[in-house]
Amino acid sequence: MDLNGIPLFSLINGRMSWLSARQSVLAENVANGDTPNFVARDLKPVDFQSMLAGRGMGSTQLTTTNVRHFEIRASGSAPFEEEDAFGEGGTPTGNVVSVEQEMIKLSDTQIQYQTATNLYSKAVNMFRTALGGRSG
Amino acid sequence: MDFTTSLYIAAAGMRAQSGRMRVIAENLANADSVSATGTGDPYRRRISTITSEFDRELNATVVKLGDPVNDAADFRLQYDPGNPAADKQGYVHLPNVNALVEMMDMRDAQRSYEANLQVMDGARNMLTRTIDLLRR
Repeated sequence: MDLNGIPLFSLINGRMSWLSARQSVLAENVANGDTPNFVARDLKPVDFQSMLAGRGMGSTQLTTTNVRHFEIRASGSAPFEEEDAFGEGGTPTGNVVSVEQEMIKLSDTQIQYQTATNLYSKAVNMFRTALGGRSG
Repeated sequence: MDFTTSLYIAAAGMRAQSGRMRVIAENLANADSVSATGTGDPYRRRISTITSEFDRELNATVVKLGDPVNDAADFRLQYDPGNPAADKQGYVHLPNVNALVEMMDMRDAQRSYEANLQVMDGARNMLTRTIDLLRR
């Protein structure tokens, strides 16, 4: 059974990969906090409402024209769009990274990730209950 | 994987900051190093340069410590005719190191190092949380 076929799981999966991709982008920002002419970047927020409606994450899908065609699911993290995040700050060297702001974003990412993992385990527990096993 | 990418980016940032710290230590230690004969130049302050570089393997912009450059500022002069290090006019050329500037630079490097450490901690927490999903 493909758990990602279940909307709730694919949603949580998408959320978690978005958050981990964001963590990487924020890591880049913090690491480049002293690099001249570096402008902080952030991931474009994904519209999870439209994901709920079944539109996916804007990834390209192959059209099936024959019954024997099968759908190829992209493995790994889906590409997320990046954008410049002009915040406060800016130094004479042309560096636009506010470490404080990045820290706030980091803790925000952490909390959201925790929420996603907790939701995931709750959903798995629901399945366990439905299957008649012991729920944890 | 995104978390390992975050860890590598943060590690590169920490490496750059500790390299910067090394240059600062060099400057502070040599704050009084003069030429023994009075004909040569005293120690010249070095400035660490930080650049960013796109790492194809990680698919991310990592920080790199560039070669330190010399500070072109004038040397400090001290009138001390009896000193063997003095020139013909009786002035001792002292290094163009300002301890106060070095201290501020050191604080800055420390702060950036800690920020990178926080990112690393965050990425590690998220990774642990994902692995914890297996336990429940």
